[in-house]
Amino acid sequence: MKVTTNQTAIMDVAEPKAVAGQVPVWLFVLGFVLLFWGMYYFDQRSGWFKTEVYAPYVSVADLQRYQPPTGGVDLGRGKAVFENVCALCHNPDGAGKPNQAPPLTGSEWVTGSPARIIRIPLAGLSGPIEVKGQQWNLSMPAMGAALSDEDLAATLTYMRQSWGNKASEVTPEMVKAIRTLLGNRSQPFTAAELLTVPEK
Amino acid sequence: MNHGPLIFLAAFIALAGSWFGVVLTPQLNVGQLQQTNTLNGALYPVARPGVAQQGLQVYRANGCVQCHSQQVGQTGTVFDVRVTEAGTNRVALNEALRKVKTGVSAPEAEQLLERLPLDVARFTNREDAEAAVKTLGVGGTKAHFLVVPVGPDMARGWGKRRSVAEDYLFDAPALPGGVRIGPDLANIGVRQPDINWHLRHLYAPRSEVKGSTMPSYPYLFEKRRAGREASPDALALTGKLAAEKGYEIVPTAEGKALAAYLVSLRSEAPLFISPISVASAAPAGGDTNAPAGGAGAATNAPATK
Repeated sequence: MKVTTNQTAIMDVAEPKAVAGQVPVWLFVLGFVLLFWGMYYFDQRSGWFKTEVYAPYVSVADLQRYQPPTGGVDLGRGKAVFENVCALCHNPDGAGKPNQAPPLTGSEWVTGSPARIIRIPLAGLSGPIEVKGQQWNLSMPAMGAALSDEDLAATLTYMRQSWGNKASEVTPEMVKAIRTLLGNRSQPFTAAELLTVPEK
Repeated sequence: MNHGPLIFLAAFIALAGSWFGVVLTPQLNVGQLQQTNTLNGALYPVARPGVAQQGLQVYRANGCVQCHSQQVGQTGTVFDVRVTEAGTNRVALNEALRKVKTGVSAPEAEQLLERLPLDVARFTNREDAEAAVKTLGVGGTKAHFLVVPVGPDMARGWGKRRSVAEDYLFDAPALPGGVRIGPDLANIGVRQPDINWHLRHLYAPRSEVKGSTMPSYPYLFEKRRAGREASPDALALTGKLAAEKGYEIVPTAEGKALAAYLVSLRSEAPLFISPISVASAAPAGGDTNAPAGGAGAATNAPATK
């Protein structure tokens, strides 16, 4: 076969070959920067797939910061706990029940020193006690020991500020302090022992 | 070349990946969802009444979800500091108010304090709000801050907080919708609790909302001969819409169910996952509940003498 000059020129051009080329370093750097940014974005905004966390909140801790303040303002929480836990014996209206539980309405124990009323649900109370001029001799288990500080504080505040009772608020901090003080005491209080607790 | 196994593997990974992401993860996340407690201690959500439950199917069958969403969005949360009760030391309070709300003169502050409760300032940070409450609490002044979700939907009055998965717990299927040709309905039962308004609105939307583009649903109603007295279900329509004398327009079972469903749409409960301040429950007065001294003493017989 005769080859013309023109065709030779075309055939002389080198064929493309696959060789290992150098990937530029900046591409790697960009990749890592993007990866880091992605991880950071995920960490900041995903809430780590926690069910409780919805936008615009980013974590459970953040969510906690946005909770409305309890105590003082909200007696609803205390009412709910009271009706669940205490009302069975003390009656939903706090009037108490004969042979079961003394009244809370107008009771000097309820409206008196917070330090004493907090101790009763935390450790229980047994033995003779005088409420509104009447003698009672019953025993109350530590109904509040399992409640959280906030729930117990709300409940006691509800008791102290409902049904005509007008006493100061009980804060979760007060409950916490006394709970720590009692440790894991399982012995219920007696009225005489409670009276030795300083008012403040 | 046999790429069979490779293609199979690639397809398997692609499908398994999307199954994990789209089916399994959401199921693990909200599949076990149960009733929860509101910040007030009440149970949430409560199941809709039976007739409203049927109304959901009417809502679905009529394609309401094509034009109405049931989900409220939220872009942020702020803290509003509010003074509810002025204390005894008016001068100190005035000074404190001007410290928190800068750019207000003393007489202006005095004027503001005339009308309580007063929303003093808005903070994006809880610590700042707490500091402001502390500053204001002089001389027995009562101040607190409110947690207020904000966003375009709140500005429109469509809800007080964002929608969460719990809101749809008893809906089968959940109908959050995606198109807002009409307004959002997540809280329509709060905004318009009157069931008769809803019935009239379904029968003749323009009679209740001027310029509404909602189609009317006359087939959810029937015209029938009125008895000697109008039936309690009859729509109170006026003008051209009213049926001729001796007839009345009453909702069918579907119409009643749909209206009952609409008024049952309320997702406003304050939840831990979507916190919001609620109007404080007024301290129970005691005047009503407390038994009179004598009666109380009579029932609360002492256990032992």
